[in-house]
Amino acid sequence: MSPPNSICRALPELAALQQVWRAGELGSAALRTVDTGYAALNQVLPGGGWPQGALIELLQTQAGLHEWGLLAPALAARQASEPRQLTVLVGAPYLPFGPALGARQLDMRRLLSVHAHQGDSPSLLWATREALQCADVSSVLAWLPDARSAHLRRLQIAAHAHDKLLFVFRPPGVRLESSPAPLRLLLEGVPGDAQNLAVHVLKRRGPPLASPVLLATRPARLTALLAASRERLRRHLEELAAARPVDVSLWSSHALDRLASLHSH
Amino acid sequence: MRWIALQACIPTEAGPCAMDALAAQQALASLALGFTPRVALVDEAVLLEVSGSLRLFGGLGLLAQQLEQLAKQFFKSNQAVVHILREQGATSLIAIGRLRQRRHTPASLCKRVADLPLHTLSAARPHLGVLERVGCRNWDDLLRLPRDGVARRFGAPLLAALDRARGHAPDSYLWRALPERFDEKIELDALVIHGPALMAGVLQLLTGLQAWLIGRQSGVCALKLVWHLDKRRDVAPTGELVVRTAQPAQDLRHVARLIAEQLAQQRLPAPVHSLSLQSLETQKLLNSSAATASLLMEARRQGDSALELIERLSARLGQAQVQGWQPQADHRPEQMQCWVKAQDAIKSIATSNRINWTSGLNTLKIEDLYPSWLLAEPLRLKVAGDSPLYQGRLLRLAGPQRLEATGWWMAGDGISDKAGQKAGDEVSSAAVRTQPPAIRDYFIYRSPQAGLLWLYSERLPVATPQGQGQARAWYLHGFFA
Repeated sequence: MSPPNSICRALPELAALQQVWRAGELGSAALRTVDTGYAALNQVLPGGGWPQGALIELLQTQAGLHEWGLLAPALAARQASEPRQLTVLVGAPYLPFGPALGARQLDMRRLLSVHAHQGDSPSLLWATREALQCADVSSVLAWLPDARSAHLRRLQIAAHAHDKLLFVFRPPGVRLESSPAPLRLLLEGVPGDAQNLAVHVLKRRGPPLASPVLLATRPARLTALLAASRERLRRHLEELAAARPVDVSLWSSHALDRLASLHSH
Repeated sequence: MRWIALQACIPTEAGPCAMDALAAQQALASLALGFTPRVALVDEAVLLEVSGSLRLFGGLGLLAQQLEQLAKQFFKSNQAVVHILREQGATSLIAIGRLRQRRHTPASLCKRVADLPLHTLSAARPHLGVLERVGCRNWDDLLRLPRDGVARRFGAPLLAALDRARGHAPDSYLWRALPERFDEKIELDALVIHGPALMAGVLQLLTGLQAWLIGRQSGVCALKLVWHLDKRRDVAPTGELVVRTAQPAQDLRHVARLIAEQLAQQRLPAPVHSLSLQSLETQKLLNSSAATASLLMEARRQGDSALELIERLSARLGQAQVQGWQPQADHRPEQMQCWVKAQDAIKSIATSNRINWTSGLNTLKIEDLYPSWLLAEPLRLKVAGDSPLYQGRLLRLAGPQRLEATGWWMAGDGISDKAGQKAGDEVSSAAVRTQPPAIRDYFIYRSPQAGLLWLYSERLPVATPQGQGQARAWYLHGFFA
């Protein structure tokens, strides 16, 4: 085991090459990336953003949990820089809601949503590949729960050949399968106050990352609203506690519901 | 007068070719019609009289070069190995004679017209044996013979041809004109049972169509493919397919792919013996030089356009599966937006620029307190006691936010059922049931598994004392993703 310096001495021309990536460092050279909009996430991604022309695999327990919060800033920036390009959604689990996504600066008219009949996963793969080959498409989001590694490899090649931003959402069950994606992230919701999303980096061009990155992906107003409601609730409970000894079961959701339903009637 | 003679030679050693000689000749003639209106098919060659077009194209050399390049690109893009021979001359017979001489002995170059061998003159062909024995080998020898003798021995046509070749008699042909509508039919080599196997024949027809389009300097918007089935007792004699494109297309690769997608879904009830292709709608391409240039491979962008993508996806998956977004003016969240068939909104998708969200152009309300995913149909939730359940127990975080949508516009939704109202009260009550007034309280709940949920509970429009006792209906309407 020789220290890295000796390698540099032994192969000076190798060390000078920009193309050489040593596994102990974050890969950065010759990578075109798109700013994720989150500084904490940029720091741990090779090249400081979402890699363009590569398959980015995002694992989450259910489809429709964290997509827009994580991706909207990058997609909006991409749309702003290339206003004529389309963003294609393949197999989206629900309807993207325009008013909310508009508030996240996404141009809804440049969104194209493609579905297939129930259980027709080959068509979804085909549609993803077609979208990647289109010159007027800048980014593709695909929900492919049934895709296998060989399918993803073809998508990775297509994304690379046409230099597109490609996100593929899969369930976390495939975490132990091999994947051709150069970047794999596991998304996990956390019930924290400020941060609501934990991003585990499963695979990247660089050393493994032990602890997850915590992000606040909710819109500021929503966060404020939730904080205000919680504060109101806490004050209410304090008043109750002052009036009589606190019952622990009051903290359960059932009791809270009853409390709030007093307001609504 | 300036004449160009062209011939498309199909090399035999290259194996089976996508086109036969006649089809190649006709395609070449159609292409040539883009350069001059005076085009004729004579024997094996295509003749062009170009003196009227020389100035436009910058001289004979440039014109011939462009024509040859276009033809090369055309045949290459249709996967046909075709050599194109080109010669020019002051009269049509000289041009053809040189062409034949070139093909016969490619190495030798005849400087003088008089040295052209006699077999290059069509009118002399029946008499070649006699002429040979008389000692006539080239045009010059024939011209030296006395005129009346030639007329008596070989007939007037040879003499007339000689006059035309020398320019002493007018040189005129029946000019070729392209039909207003393209309509061609081909017999297939073998009976075809599977839809995708028809593509070979379709490509052959499309090649002809493309040549026709280039000659007419237009692009096709809609075309119809008809297949003729073997006669069976309970089977219709033909089946057909109409393909439309949003942009007039001259490069038919995209159209071919659309047809292929649709044929892949066709089930043929009987074997097909022939195919025909008709153009339904065409548009003149304003900048026809740009259109021809688009044939050049290097001018094409990498990948296809958004229109082509939408059309291809719609052809395979069904139009309803490819959707674009449109805003609507309404309070109810499910009516604020509308996902429509992308093929219907194709123009706006392809051309619209970025919307200025801040301007009042848009009726859309921007609201970051809305969820980013909406369920197409609100999901009725199970209820435990007074609280809803979705994948387990939920925790209320915020709410209620009241939504009341009752009013004249709601009645407007039912107008379409006006005719039904006369039929009876049942129908009108059904119409009301499809559009009930929306009186809802929206809440934000948290689920440990599913994140933040957007729920609503429906309130009855009339508060009744008995209504208090019955459990409220809870619906899941969206996710904050």
